Amino acid sequence: MQKEEILRSVNNIFIDTLDNEEIILTYDTTADDVEDWDSLNHIQLVVAVEKKFKIRFTSQEILGWNNVGEMIDCILKKDI
Amino acid sequence: MIFKVDDKFERSFIVSNKIYEGFLSIFNDNNPLHTDQQFAIMNGFREKVMHGNILNGFVSYFIGECLPIKNVIIHKQEIKFNNPVYLNDNLFFEAIVTDVFESVNAVEFKFNFKNEALKMVAKGEIQIGIL
Repeated sequence: MQKEEILRSVNNIFIDTLDNEEIILTYDTTADDVEDWDSLNHIQLVVAVEKKFKIRFTSQEILGWNNVGEMIDCILKKDI
Repeated sequence: MIFKVDDKFERSFIVSNKIYEGFLSIFNDNNPLHTDQQFAIMNGFREKVMHGNILNGFVSYFIGECLPIKNVIIHKQEIKFNNPVYLNDNLFFEAIVTDVFESVNAVEFKFNFKNEALKMVAKGEIQIGIL
């Protein structure tokens, strides 16, 4: 799966999870840029991403993300 | 992680008059389906129907008091009511761990309630967080 394709899938997950059709993610998007991307919703986003791609992150991996691009790089490393 | 997929928990609950009256007095849902025997019978039920959300109270008790750890919080919960519950029904509750997300300390369960005739009266899903 290509990086752009993953970005689109993750974008759809954000739209569904945060119930906001207007979300447009870029690799540089951070939690500060997305309304309602708070700590509780972060859990739901991670769970939804893990389910979608049938992967599991570690807590250390998640703590290392500074933006959406780093999340996607982490997904790519999971050999999906 | 203390939980693993397929872990199963069971419990029974009685919808006692104390619980029913307590629910009525606290939430004031006095809809006749729940309080008027004749109304309930005229609408096709055996007797007055217990509030479905009493079962959510049992789910809350299960998560808060019956799991092997206390440092838990409910993130989200869904429930579907399949059949009516009546006063003094003895309900058998079963919850099974369906997924574990160690990265964010979250655990998902599927649960169901069956009555003494082993008829499913409600089922649902719940996600908890481990604090």
